[in-house]
Amino acid sequence: MFLEIKGLKKGFGQGEARVEVLKGIDLGVEKGEIVVLLGPSGSGKSTLLNIIGGIDGADEGSIAIGGETMQSMSEKRLTQYRRRHLGYVFQLYNLIPDLTVRENVEVGAWLGEKPLNVDELLATLGLSEHAGKLPTQLSGGQQQRTAIGRAIVKNPDLLLCDEPTGALDYNTSKEILKLIETVNRRYGTTVIVVTHNAAIAGMADRVIRLRDGAIRSNEKNAVKIPAAELEW
Amino acid sequence: MRNPLIRRYPRELRAECGKYLAIFLFMVVSIGFISGFLVADGSMIAAYNNSFEDYTIEDGHFRTGTPLNAAKREAIEALGLDVYDLFYVNLPADNGSTVRVYPWREDVDRICVMQGKAPAAADEIAVDRMWADNNGLAVGDTLTVDGAPLTISALVAFSDYSCLFESNGDMMFDAVKFTAAAMTEEGFEALSAGRHAYNYAYLYQGERPADERAEVESAKALAEAINKVAALEDFVPRVINQAITFTGEDMGSDRAMMLLLLYILIGIMAFVFAMTAKNTIYREAGVIGTLRASGYTRGELLRHYILLPILVTLLAALVGNALGYTVFKYICVDMYYGSYSLPTYVTVWNADAFLLTSVVPIALMLAINALVLRRALGLSPIRFLRHDLSRGRHRRAVRLSEKLPFLRRFRARIILQNRGSFLTLLIGILFANILLYFGLMLPVLLDNLRSDIVSSLPSRYQYILSVPEFEQGSFMAEVMKYGLRTSAEGAEPCCVTSLQTEKRPGYRQEEITVYGLEENSAYIPLDFSVPGAYVSEDFADKYQLKPGDTFNMIERFDDGRYTFTVAGTCHYPGMLAVFLSRSDFNGVFGKAADDFNGYFSDEPIEDIDSRFIAGVIDINSMTKVSRQLQVSMGGMMYLVDIFSVILFMILMYLLTKLIIEKNARSISMVKILGGTGGEIASLYLASTAIATVISVVVTIPLAHVLIEKAMRVMMASEMTGWLPLRPSYAVWGEMALLGVGAFAVVALLEYRRILRVPMDAALKNVD
Repeated sequence: MFLEIKGLKKGFGQGEARVEVLKGIDLGVEKGEIVVLLGPSGSGKSTLLNIIGGIDGADEGSIAIGGETMQSMSEKRLTQYRRRHLGYVFQLYNLIPDLTVRENVEVGAWLGEKPLNVDELLATLGLSEHAGKLPTQLSGGQQQRTAIGRAIVKNPDLLLCDEPTGALDYNTSKEILKLIETVNRRYGTTVIVVTHNAAIAGMADRVIRLRDGAIRSNEKNAVKIPAAELEW
Repeated sequence: MRNPLIRRYPRELRAECGKYLAIFLFMVVSIGFISGFLVADGSMIAAYNNSFEDYTIEDGHFRTGTPLNAAKREAIEALGLDVYDLFYVNLPADNGSTVRVYPWREDVDRICVMQGKAPAAADEIAVDRMWADNNGLAVGDTLTVDGAPLTISALVAFSDYSCLFESNGDMMFDAVKFTAAAMTEEGFEALSAGRHAYNYAYLYQGERPADERAEVESAKALAEAINKVAALEDFVPRVINQAITFTGEDMGSDRAMMLLLLYILIGIMAFVFAMTAKNTIYREAGVIGTLRASGYTRGELLRHYILLPILVTLLAALVGNALGYTVFKYICVDMYYGSYSLPTYVTVWNADAFLLTSVVPIALMLAINALVLRRALGLSPIRFLRHDLSRGRHRRAVRLSEKLPFLRRFRARIILQNRGSFLTLLIGILFANILLYFGLMLPVLLDNLRSDIVSSLPSRYQYILSVPEFEQGSFMAEVMKYGLRTSAEGAEPCCVTSLQTEKRPGYRQEEITVYGLEENSAYIPLDFSVPGAYVSEDFADKYQLKPGDTFNMIERFDDGRYTFTVAGTCHYPGMLAVFLSRSDFNGVFGKAADDFNGYFSDEPIEDIDSRFIAGVIDINSMTKVSRQLQVSMGGMMYLVDIFSVILFMILMYLLTKLIIEKNARSISMVKILGGTGGEIASLYLASTAIATVISVVVTIPLAHVLIEKAMRVMMASEMTGWLPLRPSYAVWGEMALLGVGAFAVVALLEYRRILRVPMDAALKNVD
């Protein structure tokens, strides 16, 4: 198992105001899988993603990725963990506004040990002609493609996508999903996509449904639908 | 209902306490010091101005070779003057100083006793307070003058010596090696033993001349008239008496400079405030768009963002003024007493000081912030809602070569992104460097000048003999010449006189020493086969003269006007002088070919009657400028250095903080991607470091050029003499180290800020 989560719990607040966001999550993800974490707002899916990403801590439970357990990691090792294993894509892109498309991608390359070729990646992402532009000169889809480029250029084991199409229209969303699919296929990157859009579940190898901080279902898709054929 | 946005202020203050506290404290110190200075300045100027009446300061004085008899005195008084004896004798003290002893005065130029009691016995002496301070003397101490042990009974301020100029032609006063002193009549008689100078003060019987020009004209007429009655050795009307007038002129000029200093500092702080407020506006663009869409006017929002800077300035002005009137006033008064021999003062509470240090800074803060923020808030609500805050239609990326390594491009982008802040930083650092340069350079400059003077002095002694100018050609002068010969080994006769520079825009008129040298002088060897006059390098520098140029000089009390052509320059630091051959000199001034009135000598001349020696120029007298400036300004320069470094640190801290806050989301994102604190610092702090180092390095020579130009203008228009500013690379290095060192401290603090940027800053779904 590439990613193994056992008994993961997480709450926010103190005393009576405390809210248990994750109430004991157990799950495993195989290397190279596309996993869709599906759930309504407040179900705990983003919190789970942030804990997997090492940018938030769990109260209980363990996470192991490629055999390394996160709980025992110091802050320094957590940074190294993110650097070596993870790529992150957010709903609002979080591009560095004063860097060009190319330079934003290069930020990821700079942090990677064996980064992909930036020019080739820009071509794959369809961004070559926009390489010298600033994020403000791009459409939402182009910005998200840049964010994906930045996340995968360092050739991570695991790509975490938090509502990657949340701010995009239908056509652009499909473009982005196709791109994620391409990345998964071409580079063998394991992908976890958090979304509340059930239609996206079709492109996953595995679909995990969350509600009220607990897993309601964890199923393998018998038939994967290519992202290009998804409809909603 | 009160505007609910008001509730943000305390929260903003708490959240940004570091920024507000740094700016507040800096403004408190700046305003406090300047306010204290203005109060002290006003009080001291009042004390100085009042001293003319309170202590009946002379309208002028003159010295004669022989005492005035009743008839001569009557003849002079008939010119409309009241004449008072003001005899003195210059004597050496055991600490190496020259003590000018007067009998105690009751009628004119009265003396203010600052500490102790006026001398009552013949072995008691009252000395200048500042000179005593500089020489570590106090009331009750023994001072040996000309071998006679005397008890210091009082530390005093002579009303006619608020600046201790030994001679009116001196470039600078000397409160270290020269003092005026007073004794009882008996004490004076015993000490002077008939060696005193016949010096007389006068007061106009009627109205004083209306203005300075009229006073000078009147003085010229008086000098001529008195000279007809009694041979004059010296004539100094009050208007040109530096010992009396220098203080008033100097105090007034400091005031304008101090206010300018304050306003520049406030201006820089206002820009820092404006930059941070602008950053907040960009950060809160969504909220601003919503508020504007809900009906908030641009003016209301402008007032909202401008209020805190204004409140902080107002509070700093109030606290600063309170401290200025209580604490800083005394510091500034001490500075005045460290420079001038002023009488006791009464604090004059002036409203001007308060207005200039409160209303003007607040207005400045308001104007600069309004200007910058009005522009930032000038966009339509929809642009704020869309976070589309660029001024141009579409901001384009500045093209940077892809051949440049990624890190360099990244840092260049950060610098470009924050160019407004870095420009503010550059201007602030330039200003801090100007102050720092002034603080560090002046002591070095004075040291260099001193060692230059010492190493270049043509002879150990220069004797000026008292051939009375007014008796030129008379029988008496001819007789006196026989007493002016010396057998001292190596003594070389010369001619010396002084002429005044002509009136010229931007230049103060001043006395220039004109020498007539032996053709083959052993002391100042010059090639007199070249026609024209040699000038000292300082003279050439001050008046921008080069070989072949001509310049004019005039007689001070006469209509004589002389034109000289520059033959070349002569290295004679610390002196504004013109050099002619002795034969040319005597030809130009209409004297006998073999005439002379001075000696260059490496040996002391002891075989000429001291009555014929009008002055001796030696290392001691030549270095008084550097010595006095070091004493007057040494402590102040140290404060200036500290203040400049604090200014460095505050600016660097605020602007680095601003840049990190502005990029918090990007920093957070890099952290999420696995960037370490060190790596992020190498992006963001390194960019600031590069901009800071460039600012420091570029502004050092710029500061030199600006100070050099300012000093040139100021010294030409305000001061006599010349103090050339030459670059000292050691000082430049020291400045660079201090600037970079200040940044290193700030960088350490800001590195912690980078570490504190939370990763969830990038997760928030708001811009």
